[in-house]
Amino acid sequence: MIKLQDICRFFKVGDETVHALDKVTLDISRGDYISIMGASGSGKSTLLNMLGLLDMPNSGSYQFEGKELTTLSEEKRATFRRENVGFIFQSFHLIPRLTAAGNLELPLMLMGMAPKERHTKVKDALANIGLADRANHLPKQLSGGQQQRVAIARAMILKPPLLLADEPTGNLDTHSGNDVVKILEELNASGITLIVVTHDLELGERATRKIKMLDGKIIEDVTSEKPI
Amino acid sequence: MRILDTLGFGKIALTANPTRTLLILLAMSIGVASVIILTSLGEGARKYVSAQFETLGSELLFILPGKRETTGGLPPLLGTSPKDLTIEDALSLKRSRAIAYVAPVILGAAPVSFASREREVVIFGSSSDLKAALDLPMAAGHFLPDDDPRNAASICVIGNKLKKELFDNKKAIGEWLRIGERRFRVIGELSAKGQSVGMDLSDTAIIPVASAEILFNKASLSRMIVKARGKESLDKAEADILRTIKQRHDGDEDITILRQDSLLQTFDGVLQTLTWALAGIAAISLIVAGILIMNVMLVSVSQRKSEIGLLKALGAPTRQVLTLFLSEALMLSIAGGIIGVFIGLAGAKMIAYFIPNFPVQTPLWAIAASLIVTIITGLIFGSIPASKAAKLNPVLALSDK
Amino acid sequence: MRITDYSLLALSSLKYSRLRTYLTALGIAVGIAAVVLLTALGGGAQHYMMGQFSQFGANIISVAPGKTTTAGISGAILSNVRPLTIEDAESLHRLPNIITSVPAIQGNLPIERGNRTRWTSVLGINHEVPDTWAMEVGQGRFLPNEPAEQARNFVVIGDTIRRELFPYTKPLGEFLRIGGERYRVIGVMKKKGQVLGLDMDDIVYIPVYRALSLYNRDSLMEIDLRYTEGYDEEQIINNIKQRLIERHGSEDFTITSQDDIIGTLGSILGILTAVVAGLGSISLFVGGVGIFTIMSIAVNERIKEIGLLRALGASRRQVTLLFLFEAAVLSGLGGIFGMLSGFGIAWLLHYVIPALPVNIQWDYVIMAEIIAIVTGMIAGLVPATRAAKMEPVDALRSE
Repeated sequence: MIKLQDICRFFKVGDETVHALDKVTLDISRGDYISIMGASGSGKSTLLNMLGLLDMPNSGSYQFEGKELTTLSEEKRATFRRENVGFIFQSFHLIPRLTAAGNLELPLMLMGMAPKERHTKVKDALANIGLADRANHLPKQLSGGQQQRVAIARAMILKPPLLLADEPTGNLDTHSGNDVVKILEELNASGITLIVVTHDLELGERATRKIKMLDGKIIEDVTSEKPI
Repeated sequence: MRILDTLGFGKIALTANPTRTLLILLAMSIGVASVIILTSLGEGARKYVSAQFETLGSELLFILPGKRETTGGLPPLLGTSPKDLTIEDALSLKRSRAIAYVAPVILGAAPVSFASREREVVIFGSSSDLKAALDLPMAAGHFLPDDDPRNAASICVIGNKLKKELFDNKKAIGEWLRIGERRFRVIGELSAKGQSVGMDLSDTAIIPVASAEILFNKASLSRMIVKARGKESLDKAEADILRTIKQRHDGDEDITILRQDSLLQTFDGVLQTLTWALAGIAAISLIVAGILIMNVMLVSVSQRKSEIGLLKALGAPTRQVLTLFLSEALMLSIAGGIIGVFIGLAGAKMIAYFIPNFPVQTPLWAIAASLIVTIITGLIFGSIPASKAAKLNPVLALSDK
Repeated sequence: MRITDYSLLALSSLKYSRLRTYLTALGIAVGIAAVVLLTALGGGAQHYMMGQFSQFGANIISVAPGKTTTAGISGAILSNVRPLTIEDAESLHRLPNIITSVPAIQGNLPIERGNRTRWTSVLGINHEVPDTWAMEVGQGRFLPNEPAEQARNFVVIGDTIRRELFPYTKPLGEFLRIGGERYRVIGVMKKKGQVLGLDMDDIVYIPVYRALSLYNRDSLMEIDLRYTEGYDEEQIINNIKQRLIERHGSEDFTITSQDDIIGTLGSILGILTAVVAGLGSISLFVGGVGIFTIMSIAVNERIKEIGLLRALGASRRQVTLLFLFEAAVLSGLGGIFGMLSGFGIAWLLHYVIPALPVNIQWDYVIMAEIIAIVTGMIAGLVPATRAAKMEPVDALRSE
């Protein structure tokens, strides 16, 4: 599904050049459940942003289902993100002014879907995450776990094949964290490629393919049997 | 807290958001600059008009035949009346010690022709006193001679526009013109200078008043232009005129006297009001700028909640927080005001540069008033956000992220 | 993305920071209200002047002696070598489509009755005045239709004269002395009041032939002609010109149509209104600076949100449009509020000072609204493009 070849990404900090990604090569298949772990500054978040086309490499090649993506224009990348990638963030990134339903509706609005169609989709999605009764609540009226569930539902509302999660449980207590992980793994089970960036060893160990990074390089890439 | 420290604190806050601060200064200075420029134009118009009257001489009196008792209407400019004003009336006025010059005037229109060119223009029948009263500058030749105005000589003086129309650049002095059915010799040319309000002599021919009587077949004057001996003699001159004419007209005061200075006052009043109105309209934009200051200050209060909480936790009393934010608003409005004054003055200078004949002048009251208004604006619109900041609960303010 | 969705999102963020929205909109509203109000006053003045002018009657063409080459009062009205005569007036009357023809001369004379004297404007005219100048006789009748030279010494007086000279008695049938001659009062005009600052009631009307001899003149000051409504004015003016040139041998007269005067006056007042509107727009401009400031603040506050939108697949164009819409809705709301308060104040002014003419100028109102929205969008454009240009990763990471 995804083929990364010699991806480099560096930043200039003062006079120094920091290699966030240093010749990263990676193959990802459809339906993979991958965790990316590593210390702060190891480049794991940069890799995730790269996969989601939020960031562009300085060199190297990124092929998605055989199509080269590094040459896409910014507008094409936006369309690609909308159609193929769902993002989940540590801090949820819900728009505070919009209700849960409003936040869910956002990607549908961006693609220009008719309101009627949107409303049924949003309603279904809210029911799926068990928040049907919270449709008209603002984010600040929801618990952290609820907020993250809304964010997941928003990421998945257009059914993208790739789901990228950056510390999805980082801001949550254990209980809500487990809920969120459960939902993510269910999505993976239904065939969606799930990539999780985390500090959390326990969460990292749950993945079938575990990647460790250090100084912008992949130092370990282990695939294990599916956990029970 | 010392004033200097308060100001320093405000300076830090304002420079932390340079774009925002610059935009507010822009808004404020546009308002002030437009007040300054518009009042400069208004004041300039006033100066222009009084200067024009001044060149005409503010010691002038116009005597019109006939009178009208309703006040407020037009003076009987077109009026004719049964008791004629005569050349003799004019001569008799000259005996008054308050009067320097009396120019009898018969106004009319007639075709003036030279060679194959003809032009219908206004004809002034008058005397040598007209030049003295209106201070007419000559471009060439000389004016009507100072002899008995009852002498119907066939001579004329022409305005510069009429000269150009009839003669182009050729010499006009000494040539014979035809005015109506009579021939006149050109003895002088008026210069282009000396034109003023209501007295455009550039497209006219001036002939002796007695010749005009013959030309238009009438023995009555259209008006008299009187110049008093100095401004202080104006009242006496007016009284003398009324007395003399009444005597000569069998006890009828059948004339209307228009005074240059009262006309000037009317104009002056109108233009003064206009200037105020312009200032008022421009000042509306100051209110808009004030609203903007309030808005941005409110935003900055809510963004700086934790800072306010910290200040309070450090022991700043409510009053001090109030002063801090208020002085910030004041610094914004005053700085904007000062920039605006400079922009306004520059704008006025620029207008003066492009319209050199127009005396653009910035009235001091406008500068003072607009600065005072900006301070008041800053105080009023700054006080709401400042009191909001002062009223913040320190605990809540600190806990707000 | 749908336009309704853009507006929906814009509204949601405007509603979220309500006070800020109100204040920003208020800035625009003050500007709009200023334009609406000032142009309403300008328009009112225009309307008022037109009304005053049309009180002299419509479809009038006037002919004055002398060819004026410069604007202003022609000296020819006072005296000239080529008189305009009563015969000219009669001859013009016979032209096609000319309904009335009034030869006129005006002067100021003392009117005596017993020992009362009043100086007033004495107009020499003919019997066709009521049909020409839209004036009405209150008591008695107007001057009769008689051959000019045989006109009898009749006088019709204005209401002010009646009050001054006949405070207790009926004026009809009484005699007045004008310029030493006796005139019988046969009519009193209806009160007309001030028109353009002139007291229309402080006038007496006598036959024009009498007035010419009273003033010892051979030329009229003016001939006023009224033509049939709906006919081509230009054609009629040409006819008049031709006829008078035939009679005088050259074009030694000036023709002005009332439409010309009203047109000139209208355009002067129109320019005045435009200038006033321009001055009012200074405030509108300052309001635009306000929108710019507030939108810049909004972009700063919402950098993260912009990052999220981009992660969700929003294109740069969509982000720009979102902020532009917000600015436009902001200024549009301010515009509507300003318009309504402008109307309100105009109405109030008219209510408190009924003499003050107020007339809403719709073209300016609409223009001001459009300017407000365009200003808002321009003011929103810079912050909006800045928002759109941000790299999504940086935006998401910003604090």
